[in-house]
Amino acid sequence: MNKISNHTFRNRKKLGIILLIFLACGIVPLTFFTSKAGPVITPSPDKGSFWLWNLFGHLHPSIVHFPIALILIAAISELFTINNFQSKLRPGINLLVIAGVISSIIAAVLGLLLAGSGDYGKDILAIHQYTGIATACLGSIALFILIQLKKTKDNQLIKYYRSVLFVTAIGVSVAGHFGGSLTHGSDYLSETIPWSEDYKPVTVSNIEFASLKNDTSRLTKKQQADLNIQVRAILAHNCYKCHGPDKVKGELRLDRKDMIFKGGEHGVIITAGNPMESEIVKRITLPSNDKKAMPSKDKRLFETEVDIIKLWIQKGAPWPADADKDIQFRIAKLEPRNPQLPVASAHLNNPVDRWVNEYFKKNNIPWASPVDDRTYLKRIYLDIIGLLPTPSEEAKFITDTRPEKRNLWVRQVLDRKDDYAVHWISFWNDALRNDYTGTGYITGGRFNISDWLYKSLENNKPYNQFVQQLINPEKDSKGFIEGIKWRGVINASQRTEMQAAQNVSQVFLGLNLKCASCHNSFISDWKLTDAYAFANIFADSSLEINRCDKPTGKYTGPAMLWKQLGTIDSSATTKVKRQQLSENITKPENGRLYRTIVNRIWAQLMGRGMVEPVDVMDNEPWSQDLLDWLAYNFTEGKYDVKELIYLIATSNTYQLPSVGFKDPNKIITPDFIFRGMLRKRLSAEQFTDAVSSIIEPVFADSLKGYDPYKNNSPTTVKPIFTRASLVINNPFLIALGRPSRETVSTGRESQANLLQALELTKGKRFNAALLKGAERWKAKYPTSDAIINELYDKAFNRAPTKKEFEVALKALGSTADAASIQDLFWVVLMLPEFQIIY
Amino acid sequence: MNEWNRRQFLKNTSAASLAALAAGVPITSFLSSCSHQISSKADTVILLWMAGGMSHTDTFDPKKYTPFAKGMNANSVLSTFAPVPTVLDGINFSEGLESIGKIMDKGTLIRSYVAADMGFILHARHQYHWHTCYRPPQSVLAPHLGAWIAKQLGPVNTVIPPFIDIGQRFTLGEGEELKAFHSAGFLGNEFGPFLILDPSAGLDSVRPPAGMSNTRFEKRNQLYDELIKQSPVGEFGSDYQKESLKRSMEQAYILLKSPEAQAFDLSKEPKESYDIYNTGKFGLGCLMARRLTEQGARFISVTTEYDPFKGWDTHENGNTRLKEMKKQIDGPVAQLIKDLERTGRLERTLVILASEFSRDMMVEGRPEAKVQEQVEQPDVITDMKNYGMHRHFTDGGSILMFGGGIKKGHVYGKTADERPCKTIENPIVIDQVHQTIYHALGIPADAHYVVEKRPFYTTPDGLGKVEMGLFS
Repeated sequence: MNKISNHTFRNRKKLGIILLIFLACGIVPLTFFTSKAGPVITPSPDKGSFWLWNLFGHLHPSIVHFPIALILIAAISELFTINNFQSKLRPGINLLVIAGVISSIIAAVLGLLLAGSGDYGKDILAIHQYTGIATACLGSIALFILIQLKKTKDNQLIKYYRSVLFVTAIGVSVAGHFGGSLTHGSDYLSETIPWSEDYKPVTVSNIEFASLKNDTSRLTKKQQADLNIQVRAILAHNCYKCHGPDKVKGELRLDRKDMIFKGGEHGVIITAGNPMESEIVKRITLPSNDKKAMPSKDKRLFETEVDIIKLWIQKGAPWPADADKDIQFRIAKLEPRNPQLPVASAHLNNPVDRWVNEYFKKNNIPWASPVDDRTYLKRIYLDIIGLLPTPSEEAKFITDTRPEKRNLWVRQVLDRKDDYAVHWISFWNDALRNDYTGTGYITGGRFNISDWLYKSLENNKPYNQFVQQLINPEKDSKGFIEGIKWRGVINASQRTEMQAAQNVSQVFLGLNLKCASCHNSFISDWKLTDAYAFANIFADSSLEINRCDKPTGKYTGPAMLWKQLGTIDSSATTKVKRQQLSENITKPENGRLYRTIVNRIWAQLMGRGMVEPVDVMDNEPWSQDLLDWLAYNFTEGKYDVKELIYLIATSNTYQLPSVGFKDPNKIITPDFIFRGMLRKRLSAEQFTDAVSSIIEPVFADSLKGYDPYKNNSPTTVKPIFTRASLVINNPFLIALGRPSRETVSTGRESQANLLQALELTKGKRFNAALLKGAERWKAKYPTSDAIINELYDKAFNRAPTKKEFEVALKALGSTADAASIQDLFWVVLMLPEFQIIY
Repeated sequence: MNEWNRRQFLKNTSAASLAALAAGVPITSFLSSCSHQISSKADTVILLWMAGGMSHTDTFDPKKYTPFAKGMNANSVLSTFAPVPTVLDGINFSEGLESIGKIMDKGTLIRSYVAADMGFILHARHQYHWHTCYRPPQSVLAPHLGAWIAKQLGPVNTVIPPFIDIGQRFTLGEGEELKAFHSAGFLGNEFGPFLILDPSAGLDSVRPPAGMSNTRFEKRNQLYDELIKQSPVGEFGSDYQKESLKRSMEQAYILLKSPEAQAFDLSKEPKESYDIYNTGKFGLGCLMARRLTEQGARFISVTTEYDPFKGWDTHENGNTRLKEMKKQIDGPVAQLIKDLERTGRLERTLVILASEFSRDMMVEGRPEAKVQEQVEQPDVITDMKNYGMHRHFTDGGSILMFGGGIKKGHVYGKTADERPCKTIENPIVIDQVHQTIYHALGIPADAHYVVEKRPFYTTPDGLGKVEMGLFS
């Protein structure tokens, strides 16, 4: 009897468990059904309610990780012990199940609290909510069976327990996935998969508007402000011209909050919450041939722009009082600043290092050991004079035992004034758009300044004078300010006076005036009148202000961009106005001028400016102190560019190991952390000159566009080959990245590409030079051994490794022919070690 | 940084600062539910460029023909060739274009192109405008149409460079001005033109350097691989500079080794077919364009080549010289279309024939905006050399379009039958031509690139309108 009743009891128990499982299986589909039929979100505390509920709700995202991890591990452990229920892991698994289920119940409750307060999309939330609850229920059942199992030792229950636990594990994964979709967006995972429709090659933080579209709930403050700015950007670009501060057509202004909500002569244009009823939406969605369609003149908004405006109105047309806070443009200080230099230590005496040391301390970066002699010498040669050190220079440097030898050699290289000038002339040609050929020359609309430029660099002209002579030029330096004059009618923003204003701003002040020379800038606070006032300095009589190439009938006098730098006499001749400008702009008080040049030189040497992009000096430097100190010191030190280079090149900072990077987009973002110079690719000129010096001159003397050695002084040192910077631009140099110099260019592209590789692989000029060199080497060097050693010595300033030597020797054979030598040349020149400055 | 992709741009800026958004960039990224994709009608574009200004009344839009007679009144001359019928009812071409006339049932004839009014007429400026859609000069380097397409769509076949530019040398007059737009501009060299200066030597552009056998080329590359492996800088790990260099060298190697490179070798073409195309550099350029299209090219430009006062740039002897020019283009253009159609490629290949502006005997520029005359034209013609269309005319012009979803046997627009023979119906300007090409390729109107924080669109402000009437 006893036995039987026990058996019956167990059967009844089993029946109950099966029933429970069926019940659980029913819950999920049922919840889907109800999600369609009934209200999705259960009544729960709203935002205005008791703070503790809100706090609990916000704990949900962190608590959910417990059930996910615990239940999954429990299920996996269960799988591993599938053949042995009473394994040694048993107590551990039991604990995992208990903790997992309890935490899942807590998470579900907290989740319900959160659902009421957040701004979440309906569909995903519903799925997440019900899978979450179902998981908690299923987990409880699994736990219940497990407890029964322990009590009754009925092994038949094992399979039920395990089945329910596995279903729970699946449930928790599904719920977790949709929870993730809620917080990160539904394409959070799929966007990283290249074959997915959602694929986005780069993912930075999402604006997270994606889920808002179908949501009727409120926006967060930040979202309101963002949306407001987006809408105003659209209005600014498409509507302000007629409905802004300058013109108020139909008594409607769209640029101010009070005005836009007041509406125009036909009444209110925005019905908050109802886009289709709003006049503005009606107007922008009319067919373009409708008289009432806006914008007029056949322009249409892009569909996505219309969608944004609709969304904004649907959300109640938010315009938070502090929305403008985010569109304030950062403006760098104009005044110079001389921060107190940190104290020196035994190893860090150079001011650059003292500032970088502060920066490193703050960012927890240890100082790495300086690079070896070979790497250092190659750097200073290429950076200062654009040449590779010769093997004998290399040997001298390595065997130099003077403790200060690096400083001494930097000085010595800087003193090679012709090599220095011929290297830096490329940088300045790019920036001042000075080239030996180009548009404008055939019609007398452009002037070359090469001779002035070369001599200025050769004599290390103080930078303030350099700038003065470009802005207030004599005959030989007028090319920069006179610009490029095209025949025929040109856009008002491209007249030569405006070109001068744009180019002076960009090159000397790291300031983009191009936008403002057509309309009030959208990317800075510069106004159209500022640009015209600045351009008027270069004009014989005041220019009529044109907005977007349409005359306005308005005029303004000549003025500095910063009034505190001085005035310009509006009645003076152009020559006098230029002189006033040249004096005003080079005052030491103009910290911007000197920060800009210091940053440019830094960028040339270190591969990245302290401020990036180098033409946007309003951006924040990674070390304001270092930039300010260097700029101040530069004005104190007679505006000496070579001294600036000396200071940088002799610092420990410059001697740090180079830093590689994977994505060039990442290195100019504001969160950049400086750790040392970035790896640089040889420029077109550096590469060609290196080939010319170690193999065979690539360019004939006759290809020169400018010859500094023609009327040279007795001290001029002429190189043994034609330097690439002096040659008229050609397809080889273009392929390697020399710009066309039709516009200002202050940095070279460093990305390799197919057209460049084709030029290197099969370009006539290049391969002919290699062949000629090969023939010469064949005659000069008796053995393949000698050729290989010599080549490695010249190209890398080192001996080949044993393996390299073997490979090269195998290619050459014991008696090499010119063709194999040519091929070995080519291979060595294409190696990253040759093309990249490490 | 200067990524054209709007989504990416917005993400970057939202992470950094919202300031740039005030630049008025169309915002689509966060409205992911409503994307405005347009489906493409074409994969490849072939531009047949009539460099130097092709007169419409002496080519595709003939008016009353007045044969040469000593002492004739110049103002009475509208066309210097007899009209010949085309396959289309009531549509005539000028004598010498019979072959193209026979294939007009396969494409659209536009008779209403209006070139820009830019004052002093300089070929290079109008060509710059035609190819970039922007008027020179610009404060940033505007990209060529082909570079935009290369940037937006990439190559069709990865081994074929996406932008191929056949037949223009830069060592001639105004070479510098031509260089200014045969360029990817701010998009970067990666999207620049792959130049084939002379199609008959096209193979040279894609084979190992002169004097290098294939075996040797192969061995050189092998050696490169081995020494890269041995190089001690390998220990510095992979970085952008190194990877980008290695990848580009590999690409070049693959192109040179590829069977597709044979498309550049015109000697592989059967003689019969070669002979039809062989009317000179332009004809052979058409042949190369066809062969490249077969292998998967994206954008190909073939030009009659601009050389001041040569080719279509007829400042005198217009009538005599046009006979020559027509011989150059008539056979090859017709054959190109027929060949593309025969192989079924015309459906997805958009072919455009165009010129920077037209010419007229009397009017320089346009009637209401006359500009300084470039050519002396006597009122009474006594010399054959004055018989022809010698002045630059901007108020009307012809364009041909085939394939890529363009209507077949259609005529769009109209010019007046009396001087000035200007556009009187459906005028079409360059912004529309460009947007129509982009549309055919599935590139949306708001495609742009952010340069110096300024959104620079494929057509000015993204406002170029697609001429849907051209599509079937």
